[in-house]
Amino acid sequence: MAAPTTQPSNAVPALAPERAVNWPKRVKSKLANGLQIVLVESHSIPRFHGELFFRSGNAAVSHRAPGLAEMTATMVRTGTAKRPSRQIEEDLRRLGADLSSSAGQDHSAIAFAGLSEFAEPLLGLVNELAREASFPDAEFERERRQKLEEVKLERTQPGFLAGERLRKVLFGEHPYAKVSPSEAQVAGYKREELHSIYHESYTPENALLLLVGDFQPAAMLGTIEKIFVPWSGKKPMVPQATAPANPRGRRAYLVHVPGAVQTQIVCGCHSITRKHPDWIKLGLTNSLYGGAFNSRLVMNIREAKGYTYSPRSGVSALQQYGYFSVSAAVRNEVVAASLTEIFYEVDKLRSLPVPEPELADAQNYLSGVFSMGLATQEGMLSQIATVALNELPDDYLETYREKVRALQPADVLATAQKYFDSANMQIVMVGDRSKIESQAALFGELEVFDAQGNRLS
Amino acid sequence: MKGLQIALESRTLANGLRVVIAPDSIVPVLTVGVYYKIGFRLEPQGRSGFAHLFEHMMFQGSANAPKMEHIKLINSSGGVLNGSTMYDVTNYYEAVPSNALGRVLWLEADRMRALKVDDENLKNQRDVVKEEVRVNVLNQPYGGFPWLDMPPVAFRNWANAHNFYGDFADLDAASLPDVQAFFRTYYLPNNAVLLILGDVKPEEGFLLAEKYFGDILRGPEPPFTNPNEPPQTEERRGHIEEKFGTLPAMAIGYVLPKRRSAEWCAMALLDQALHGGRAGRIYRNLVLEKQIAVEADGGVDDIFGYNGPAQTTTRILHKPEISSEATLAAFDAVIQEVQEKGISADELEQLKVKWRSDYYAMLEGGRGGYMPKYGLMHLLACFSLFDGEPQLVNTILDGFLQVTPERVQAAAKKYLRKENRAIVFRTPANTDVKEAA
Repeated sequence: MAAPTTQPSNAVPALAPERAVNWPKRVKSKLANGLQIVLVESHSIPRFHGELFFRSGNAAVSHRAPGLAEMTATMVRTGTAKRPSRQIEEDLRRLGADLSSSAGQDHSAIAFAGLSEFAEPLLGLVNELAREASFPDAEFERERRQKLEEVKLERTQPGFLAGERLRKVLFGEHPYAKVSPSEAQVAGYKREELHSIYHESYTPENALLLLVGDFQPAAMLGTIEKIFVPWSGKKPMVPQATAPANPRGRRAYLVHVPGAVQTQIVCGCHSITRKHPDWIKLGLTNSLYGGAFNSRLVMNIREAKGYTYSPRSGVSALQQYGYFSVSAAVRNEVVAASLTEIFYEVDKLRSLPVPEPELADAQNYLSGVFSMGLATQEGMLSQIATVALNELPDDYLETYREKVRALQPADVLATAQKYFDSANMQIVMVGDRSKIESQAALFGELEVFDAQGNRLS
Repeated sequence: MKGLQIALESRTLANGLRVVIAPDSIVPVLTVGVYYKIGFRLEPQGRSGFAHLFEHMMFQGSANAPKMEHIKLINSSGGVLNGSTMYDVTNYYEAVPSNALGRVLWLEADRMRALKVDDENLKNQRDVVKEEVRVNVLNQPYGGFPWLDMPPVAFRNWANAHNFYGDFADLDAASLPDVQAFFRTYYLPNNAVLLILGDVKPEEGFLLAEKYFGDILRGPEPPFTNPNEPPQTEERRGHIEEKFGTLPAMAIGYVLPKRRSAEWCAMALLDQALHGGRAGRIYRNLVLEKQIAVEADGGVDDIFGYNGPAQTTTRILHKPEISSEATLAAFDAVIQEVQEKGISADELEQLKVKWRSDYYAMLEGGRGGYMPKYGLMHLLACFSLFDGEPQLVNTILDGFLQVTPERVQAAAKKYLRKENRAIVFRTPANTDVKEAA
């Protein structure tokens, strides 16, 4: 063994002085047709990432049927006036590109990434998909049959069943309660209806184009103008949805999956959207609770008790309403014990101020992880998408870290009391009824469903 | 064509620890990894799943950082961390603001020097791992399909053929002495590589590596069980029941050519011709055109990251009204076509552009954007441990870009043979439609 040059110390090394985090310039523009554009340079690799968002998704058309925006997005890549499906896929490969088209509750999007040297033809293809998708009959029939199999398959996945039941419980009659269509609803999809949704919502007035990558913004803006200027179309009319009732009192819901060897738990309550002034406080409070590896929930039910592999909590910020949720897949014997600990940790954060060192650790975690977004094109794109889609202030990225670091134990206590609504938290369990029903019933009036959503008792 | 060159420097400490530094100070972020050259392939017989269970134990405490301290120190430095167990390596990695370099190296060195765990930690992580297996395999439709189902059918050498996640009886049998023996055998500086990528000056990185890791004792070279397989002379088949899903499924795996051979490069592009997304021949034929399958995907998983027998595997979920044999016949027709007609120069050109683009993307990210430079770290580690040549990261692309249509066709004929493949059928216990005879 070689003699060490210096003896290592047993003490944890202190952090060196922090290097400044400099967010790159966001170059913004808006075309005469209404298309909003944000460009960011990132020269780490000779590629770029982009996303063309439309500000309407499944919720905007859910009065017609659930999942229609998603099905519309699926159809977008299956053919245009100029290129059949097969050519679209081969052209993408020729450009070294990946592309996906999808829709969530609030947005539809075409996401793409590829080599910078082929930026212009790739943007040309994206433009074609956004404006000239032809929705071929045969492709529609095939995608619809495909979708039928997908909706059957997702009803065998515990995570899907838990999330779906929680949404139904939290959002009732609101479009956000509809996570996925039934088989009958998919069978009722009509090509003409999808095509009309496409024409209404895939318009420049409804769109936002974000690009991050290895390009010069001025030149890229010129390319974008050349391609997208001839596009036209108005914002779609979206019916106003009535506000969902906020469920009162703790209730328990069991989705019965015969033979399940584990129970998927998810608990949740209404909270806030990204735009709310308390958002950053709630993010920090969630991080302390169950949003990080080094959080109370993980320490308790994973590292101390070994009930579960992957406990976590998070705030889902949909555009109109947000909700807080806690999830864990636990072994059947400890369903009640896990729920007891989940609520113990919630109530503890609501009752006692968080110790200052623990708070400082969580603040450092959130502010450090936030700047990881700088390091990859995809990470940067996700950060600017959050800002643009939620219409957050221009300096959101620059000021986030100092806002997190300014928070005090009293802020966390008040935030937990306000948004970790323990008394009105809804509890969903997906598992084998015969193994867990008696434990489930301890936590509130119990309703039991099958995987298809039929009430069993 | 615009190339991409990664600046890197490497040294080996006196105790055998390889250190690779790839400086890039565009953003104040660092990725640090320690890779040990031991994965689940060579874990001890009678202890299936042990390499992975052991990986969990590496987060349970070391001489100067008790349980949870490791996680707490990385998170509170503004960073994230994780580990994973693969066929031939196990990694531990962190992404942190660059001011935490000393702290990260101190932590990694502390657990390379001395693991400090007890029975309670072991019992706790055994429980956690069982829930991991349940959530990923036992309680999921098509859980573990085909990555856990295929090896026992395809291979004869226990190293390649056992349950890598672990039989619960084996997990239960694992003891604290097993943990310490595994640690002493494989977790040695001379069986590892340290990677520091991002905002670091190479000289500072090497100095800190020496400071924290320099006094860790070298150990005897770990035993290397030969993972080679006896020659295969016929197609192998296996059947497994699917408990939750209702669609019949099958996976077809072909053994790959030797790593870093010219045939291996040709096979990689052939694999892309077959599997590369919606333009791939298998998806196009089975899902889009014939509409036999609902899902048809696969390919080589982590082509640079293995050091023993590996396969390219196609995973198909098909419609219940189509029989397994009809589905397999349709798949075979795709294979036969590429064997007989090869691929055109134009198709190969598309595949090469995509391959190059994917390679760059892998270097930059590779873990959904939250783990910068994960792919670069992984490649530098594998090229260091398997080949002794981290600089391969800047040249390995050339071999793929030189592949010709003739070599692709030759690879199809030589490797996509029935005697070189295994098939696993995963058949639902409950289906709404009876399968046609």
